[in-house]
Amino acid sequence: MSEKPRVMIVDDHPVWRDGLRNDLTARGFEVVAEAADGGEAIEVAREAMPDVILMDLQMPTVSGADATRLILEESPHIKVLVLSASGEEADVLEAVKTGASGYVLKSATSDEVAEALVRVGAGEPAFTPSLAGLVLNEFRRVTGGTARRPEPTLTPRENEVLTLVAKGYTYREIAEKLFISVKTVQNHVQNILTKLQMRKRYELMRYAIQKGLDRVPD
Amino acid sequence: MGRSERALSTGPGAGLGESIERSEAERAREALWTAVTVYRWAALAWMIGLAATVEGGLALPGLGWPALAVAALWTATASTRREASLLGAWTELVLAFALVVLSGTVAPPGAVATARPFFATAWPVAAVAVWGIARGPFGGIAAGLSIGVALTLSRWTNEIPPWELTQVEVQTLVSGTLVFVLAGAAVGLVGRLLERSAREYRALIEVTMRARERVARSEERESIARQIHDSVLQALALVHKRGRELGRAPSVPGPEVTALADMAGRQEAELRALIVREPEAPSGGRVSLRSALEEVARAVDGIATTVSATGALWVPAHVGDEVALAVRQALDNVVEHAGATRATVFADRTSEGMVVSVRDDGRGFDYHEAGLQAAGKLGMLKSMKGRVEALGGAMHVASSATGTEIEFAFPVEGQ
Repeated sequence: MSEKPRVMIVDDHPVWRDGLRNDLTARGFEVVAEAADGGEAIEVAREAMPDVILMDLQMPTVSGADATRLILEESPHIKVLVLSASGEEADVLEAVKTGASGYVLKSATSDEVAEALVRVGAGEPAFTPSLAGLVLNEFRRVTGGTARRPEPTLTPRENEVLTLVAKGYTYREIAEKLFISVKTVQNHVQNILTKLQMRKRYELMRYAIQKGLDRVPD
Repeated sequence: MGRSERALSTGPGAGLGESIERSEAERAREALWTAVTVYRWAALAWMIGLAATVEGGLALPGLGWPALAVAALWTATASTRREASLLGAWTELVLAFALVVLSGTVAPPGAVATARPFFATAWPVAAVAVWGIARGPFGGIAAGLSIGVALTLSRWTNEIPPWELTQVEVQTLVSGTLVFVLAGAAVGLVGRLLERSAREYRALIEVTMRARERVARSEERESIARQIHDSVLQALALVHKRGRELGRAPSVPGPEVTALADMAGRQEAELRALIVREPEAPSGGRVSLRSALEEVARAVDGIATTVSATGALWVPAHVGDEVALAVRQALDNVVEHAGATRATVFADRTSEGMVVSVRDDGRGFDYHEAGLQAAGKLGMLKSMKGRVEALGGAMHVASSATGTEIEFAFPVEGQ
């Protein structure tokens, strides 16, 4: 394991936050801040400047997806790892499209959470099989680009990599299977995420055009 | 689920109550209005009859008959309307007032003040009734009083100044006025009563609807409570009890704590499945393959299983059942033979149907039917293969030293 990132925990359940903090502290992570709501998270993150934020999705007032977008607009170097309950696929996808680096289920083991934190802290997306399934499905939807700027789609190779991630293969296994380096697999995954976030922009753009707004949010 | 949606939507119920109130009140006013219309025609006929038979004829026929013609015209106009408007009420009151005052000039001098039927007294009752309908009892009383004023003026126009009226003539005038006032008050009261009963009717309906809603909700709560009680509450109680006992124990037995945690985890997943709904609605008789696979993953003990899917993936119920059974067998096989730590079930749409893969990170095996049959390991694999082939699909096995992937591909009709 490489260096451990400084972590901030955002969750509206105090018991859950306590458990998570004790667990992470025991594993040598530095928990630098906590917040009980998305709105609070935006302010706390501005002061604490953590490396990684563990973000709950369903919270009162400001949701985890909204908080993620606002925090990343202000501080793009902060990484967000979504910690979600099952059955929130749509919200997870929304958070990832707005810039979250991945998600871990709340039912995951502490080992898995720690591993994902280190991975995200090192700048790699935490791409679980379930997330890969959601993203594959997302890329099959037509969101609408223009003739001059067609909406981003996956290359056959990216599609292949994503499908293997969804099937539960590790990056190393994918690299062996496709006769490429692990670094190349990581690049593919990073590109897929970038395209996903671009699609979010296309969605916003199309929304703006539909609504007759002439200024596109940037 | 359908029941909960109906029970939660209070909006349409209130709207229905409102429309009932409106329509009932409208119907009440319409009934009164129809009665007034009929009365107006009858009064017109009575008035024309009296005017034609007045002793010695009308004093000024050139004024009297056109006045009656105007009254007839209004009677006809008012018949075409379905309810009393404020403008109509004013028009009719002004016409009635003018007719009564005018009747003094056209009747033989002194005739108005006598007690015998006077031709212009019946028709104006309609105007007073209209005010009762439009403005309630006080509107009716006010209109009746103004016709009383007209009656007083009609004595004047009949060449008898009010102060020269005899006591009997004054009594006739007052009782005539009282009849108008009473008519206005009565019609107004009836209108208000009808409206109030419509309101009460609506309140009653609301109470009934709310009671029904309560019953539906409590039924739903009971059904959820039953499901929760069956599993979740019992598991929680056990976790609580055993957790405390283990906390007091001098040494904590790891496997038992793990078992307890697993039980809590399964209950969490079940409770979640109970309250989280599929956002997309399936078309008739279809089930979500993803949900079916998640259920299988929860049910399999002994390996951490992740389910990933490209959407809810709706399939006919029997297809979902068969595929879930095949996946269950595949996972049992992994637990029994593969020595794996993780398994992933992935379901995806293809151009012909769907494909489900079960992948583990175990030691793998040589998929060679003859060899497996010799080792007695073919049974389960053959059974899975049979299930999928019965659906018109196929099974593929790819195994290496780092894991095995079993793939079920099958067609889905009307995908």
